[in-house]
Amino acid sequence: MNAAAPNADGLLIGRVRAKDHRAMAEIFDQYATMVYAVALRVLKDPAQAEDVMQEIFLQVWNNPDRFAQGRGSLGAWLAVVARNRSIDFLRQRRPTESCDEVVLPAATNLASEVERNSMMAKVRGVLKNLPQEQQKSLELAFFEGLTHSEIAARTGDPLGTVKTRIRSALASLRKGIEA
Amino acid sequence: MTDARHISQEDLALHAMQALSPEESAAVRSHLAQCAQCRDDLASLTGDLALVALSADQQPLPIGARDRFMAKISPAASPALAAQTPKSQAPQVISIVAKRPSPAALWIPWLAAAALLVLSVSLGLEIHELKAALQAQTEASARQAAASARAQQVLDVLSAPAAQHVLLTAAKTPPQPTGRAIYLASRGSLIFQGNNLAQLSQDKIYELWVIPADGTAPIPAGLFRPDTTGNASVLLPPLPTGVPAKAFGVTIEKAGGSTTPTAPILLAGAAPTSGE
Repeated sequence: MNAAAPNADGLLIGRVRAKDHRAMAEIFDQYATMVYAVALRVLKDPAQAEDVMQEIFLQVWNNPDRFAQGRGSLGAWLAVVARNRSIDFLRQRRPTESCDEVVLPAATNLASEVERNSMMAKVRGVLKNLPQEQQKSLELAFFEGLTHSEIAARTGDPLGTVKTRIRSALASLRKGIEA
Repeated sequence: MTDARHISQEDLALHAMQALSPEESAAVRSHLAQCAQCRDDLASLTGDLALVALSADQQPLPIGARDRFMAKISPAASPALAAQTPKSQAPQVISIVAKRPSPAALWIPWLAAAALLVLSVSLGLEIHELKAALQAQTEASARQAAASARAQQVLDVLSAPAAQHVLLTAAKTPPQPTGRAIYLASRGSLIFQGNNLAQLSQDKIYELWVIPADGTAPIPAGLFRPDTTGNASVLLPPLPTGVPAKAFGVTIEKAGGSTTPTAPILLAGAAPTSGE
């Protein structure tokens, strides 16, 4: 993961700030498929997933400063925002403030398609090898938006176990990616 | 939730996924506001979550999604642009009415006309593109109709009672009952034509069979009687899809047909390797 792409993100965002339609089109072309995929995974409805995707990119256009430089890569930021907005949509909630608070480490970079594809393969490989219970807990929390107590109620596991499983799954993922 | 000084990694991960209760989240926010280390940890966990998001299967965008987005941010579609006009200019408009127009104001109608011209050119281009798309769709539809008409013609010839069915064989060979099966396993589609078939009594009927390649039981593929010249057809009988055939057979069964073939097998033919 290099630092060049976040700079490229920063330049694009700077042009969007100046209302450069081409820059916005570049951002859309680069990340729309990924954002749509995340929204579709959560919502399982193509029309709703497109609504969420359109809303996210429209927000980038109207308020590019929500993604501040130094908050990691735009791709990673969009991936997390796509998930959060979709969960809000799923739960019929008003958009949570936490979308504005999404802060990422500077090293996270998903700007190039090649890099994203390679990362996707790695992530899927690591997740597939996690213990079944960890996979399930992470899936329920991340893609279905259940709270830890809802997961505990659904799986019949103690609350502490659910928390530990999610944390362990994320730790294994980080370790697997860094390996 | 917190140890003496910091929030646990478990709760930070749940907070990043909005999976804590509102009260717990409020406590985490309040701590984060004052703790750089927990903010860093949260950022790292959010980076991990971005990776989890990547595990979603990639899907192509819905058709037209990009155009819809670009239309949303086009200046014509943006009410924000209209709202950006400074309110302080409003009195100046009134003053233009009260006084002689300033030289700059004289340009306004021309600028408006130019803007309209640009807009109409742009609309003209859009209409041109739509017409081209419509033309392409009309041509595709015409091609499809022609293909469909041809397919219907083939079926009509195969199934018409008046059609002459002639089997060419080596000269001086006495006529033998024959059958020809054409089978597309992936679609479960079968066309069968029989020739020189003997007439049967009313309580008997011919039955066609698909013999699956996997060794499972023969599948009934239709009942038929020959016409007065000994010809018969079975067109697209209801069959399961995706069953490769090892062979086809024809038996004589009781008038209502059978679920298992009755020996002897009158006609049989092994299927060559599928071209699919």
